[in-house]
Amino acid sequence: MRLLTFCAMVGAWAGPAVAGTLDVRVTDAAGRPVADAVVIVRAVGRATPLPRRTNALKVEQRDLQFHPFVTIVPVGSSVSFPNFDKTRHHVYSFSAPKKFELKLFASEQSRSVTFDKAGVVAIGCNIHDQMAAFLYVSDSAWTARSDARGVASIDGLPAGAVSVSLFHPYLRAPGSVVARSMTLSGGRQTAQFAVNLRAPPPTMRHGY
Amino acid sequence: MRLPAFRFRSLGTRMAVLQAGLFGLTMLAVSALIYAMVGQIGGRAVERQMAASSAVFDRLWQQRTAEMQGSAGLLARDFGFREAVATGDSATAGSALANLAGRRPADLAAILRVDGTVVGTLDGRSRADVARLYEALDAGRLSGVARLGGRPRQVAAAPIMAPVLTGWVVFATDIDAREMRSLETMSAIPIHAGVILAEPGEGGWQRAAGAFELTGKDSQAQVALSLKQQKAVVLGLSGEESIGFAKPLGTMVEGERAALLLHYPRAQAIAAYRPVQYAVALIGLLGVVLVMAMTWRSARRITEPLARLDRAAGRLAEGERIELVVSGDDELARLAHGFNRMATQIEEREKRITELAFNDVLTGLPNRAMFKRHLNHLLATRGGRDGAVAIHCLGLDQFKTVNDSLGHGAGDALLVEMGERLGAVAEGCFVARLGGDEFVIVQPLGGSRDGVERMAAGLIEAVRRPTVIDGHHIVSGASIGVAIAPDDGADVTTLLKNADLALNRAKADGRGGTSFFEHSLNERAQARRRIESDLALAIERGEFELYFQPLFDLEHQRVGSFEALIRWNHPTRGLVSPAEFIPVAEDNGMIIPIGGWALREACRHAVGWPDNLRVAVNVSSVQFRRPGLSEEILRALANSGLAPHRLEVEITESVFLEGGEATLRLLHSLRSLGIRIALDDFGTGYSSLSYLQSFPFDKLKIDRSFIQALITQPNASAVVRAITDLARALGMETTAEGVEETEQLEQLIAHGCSSVQGFLLSRPLRAADVAKLLEREAAIIRAA
Repeated sequence: MRLLTFCAMVGAWAGPAVAGTLDVRVTDAAGRPVADAVVIVRAVGRATPLPRRTNALKVEQRDLQFHPFVTIVPVGSSVSFPNFDKTRHHVYSFSAPKKFELKLFASEQSRSVTFDKAGVVAIGCNIHDQMAAFLYVSDSAWTARSDARGVASIDGLPAGAVSVSLFHPYLRAPGSVVARSMTLSGGRQTAQFAVNLRAPPPTMRHGY
Repeated sequence: MRLPAFRFRSLGTRMAVLQAGLFGLTMLAVSALIYAMVGQIGGRAVERQMAASSAVFDRLWQQRTAEMQGSAGLLARDFGFREAVATGDSATAGSALANLAGRRPADLAAILRVDGTVVGTLDGRSRADVARLYEALDAGRLSGVARLGGRPRQVAAAPIMAPVLTGWVVFATDIDAREMRSLETMSAIPIHAGVILAEPGEGGWQRAAGAFELTGKDSQAQVALSLKQQKAVVLGLSGEESIGFAKPLGTMVEGERAALLLHYPRAQAIAAYRPVQYAVALIGLLGVVLVMAMTWRSARRITEPLARLDRAAGRLAEGERIELVVSGDDELARLAHGFNRMATQIEEREKRITELAFNDVLTGLPNRAMFKRHLNHLLATRGGRDGAVAIHCLGLDQFKTVNDSLGHGAGDALLVEMGERLGAVAEGCFVARLGGDEFVIVQPLGGSRDGVERMAAGLIEAVRRPTVIDGHHIVSGASIGVAIAPDDGADVTTLLKNADLALNRAKADGRGGTSFFEHSLNERAQARRRIESDLALAIERGEFELYFQPLFDLEHQRVGSFEALIRWNHPTRGLVSPAEFIPVAEDNGMIIPIGGWALREACRHAVGWPDNLRVAVNVSSVQFRRPGLSEEILRALANSGLAPHRLEVEITESVFLEGGEATLRLLHSLRSLGIRIALDDFGTGYSSLSYLQSFPFDKLKIDRSFIQALITQPNASAVVRAITDLARALGMETTAEGVEETEQLEQLIAHGCSSVQGFLLSRPLRAADVAKLLEREAAIIRAA
């Protein structure tokens, strides 16, 4: 992990000056746009710049749901979990990158958790099974989330070979991730991802 | 083909059998219906029970699924458990699982993680089982039947969300024989349960649990039908017909099918209702017996009067007088009334028929049948005592003459008159008319026989009294034959026959007399019968022979002619007298061939004699009555070549008595041919001189009785003289018959008789002796 960070730092410095943009369009098998998909681009054969650490990320608990459903967390950042509900929440994660438990008893109570390992962290509430949220702890500065149109745009990409990964909580794939190699030309480019999604668990109220 | 009809001897039996048969048939139909219904009801009851059982099973199934899923879900939501599973703490997760499984026994409990690893006991030694289960769970199928370790199991699973799906808690329960038995115990009737499975695709149903085999050839189709329509079907299970009900069960693996199969042997379903069927059969049987008994009873009410009628009719048929006692006014009573009326009428009619049967319609006297009854009765009642009975058989003389000359009306009137007279004379005696002109008088004679002759004389006297019929004075006469019981016979037939013989004798002896039966009469009758039978063969056998007796012509003093006389040389009795067989032959008609033969034979012989000799042949009145006599005579002449004037036909007065105009014509035609006609036996009988006037006979033959009288009676000579004078006056010759004495011959010569015949001159001669006689005569003439 330390090596990875190091490499990323080196890459950021040594990165080529010419920057490009990649628009990734995500659809499901029926061709409908898929939101909340995380697209990660990594340079191949070169260092990928690390994202800038931040402490401003929030995953709110409101109306017995986590908001937002998917959050991209630059590795090393802290995320606060404010509770806006009248009920208590017992936020937890058994995910390998970060295991934690936050017993949020009072309204407006907020606790922060720092995520210093890249990976997917699934967050649930032990009290309310229907509540679920995902943090994508990313070690790449080139990470974006698809919007309601199913489009994720990433700027400042250098030309050259890259791997483009796509994560979605319900993606029917090992680790819920699919990846592909691309060669970027430096201009604005578009990639199409048609993905196969699982049905959300019955307790889930979120659409996608 | 007609079936032989079965007949009942008794109306009651027939009615009973018919009604009971009808009732039995109806009962049979009802029983069959009930039997079928019971079978159906039995089937339905089982079907209903099956539907209920399947519903119960369904609930139980759901309940168990819910229970297992609940337990699994509970575990799956446990924070610590989730943590253990999510972090790969298999030991903690396994212990939690075991803990729960220990509390709520499930046969199998396991955790199947999304990465494919298994914690706990899934009995999934086969990786294929696990893979299939994983696939099903991954597809969101959380409960149903699945084959694990080769056995069907009820599986329920709950996902472990942490909060992403990290695995499933899986519980499974065996669906085995024990399970099925526990299900069977929940049903009111011992329904058998089983589970059948079908592999994905076109695979057929196969038994997965339960004790049965799908054996029927349409079982698969029936199961499919039951599943589709959710109703009971009949199918072959383990080789017997069963009622089955299949209920679909959810499966874990997509495409795999599972079903609960409830089944019950059909025979057993119906067996529950067997007592009902027996009861129906018993009731039917009792009903038949009851109906039979009741019908028999009511039939007897009808048949008993009928049987009485039957018996009465039988007695009526035997001539008994019958009157039925009638009660009520129903059909049977009317029938009995009718029967009584009929019996009375039959009696009256019988009386009338008896009258007709036993009385002579004309005279009103009893008839022959009545006479026989009466005499039978008399003989029977007098048999033991000394009382004799005289039977007078009375025949009217001259009746035929009256009938012929004055008509049948006069004849009948005569019979009525005579009947009345006889009845008056024979007062106290039984008088009957036997038929024709014959009457019979039955005279009971106490001890003496004196009254018999008096009675006979009285009867003849009564008949002889002149009577006037249609203005004609008629003097009748009667002959009587008497037979006396018991001397002359013990029974009616014999007595009547003997009296008849006596009557015949009386008639033969001369009319107007009485003759008593003698046994010789009977013998004569028998001899007559013998003659009759022998006569038939006599001609064929050549037993007849013609004799010729010469008639001596007194005028020319030589033989003028021969009378042909027939003789019968009987093979055993020797010579039979013509007086014996001619009357018999006349009676039975044999005289026709015999007479014909005599004619031919006489002509044949005569043709050989000298031309001056004639031959005389007797022709019976019977021959005259038959047609063809003249042809017969002409043929005899033609065949022999005899000149007609050499043939002389001798007839008796009876020819005229019976013949009439036709006879006269015949005689005239014969005479015109030159044949001579002689009247034989002149002077006897009732012949009148009118014959002589009506026909010009060539010759009169004076009866031998007058010739014999010439010697004994002084006035006979005058009679003979009168006859010869009469004949001479009429231009007829005369021949005296039976001349035996010289004295007679002398008188006859004196009276001027033309010729004589008799033993004094010559007996009848055989044909061969005629020539000798003629030779001798010629010698005498020459000598003279």
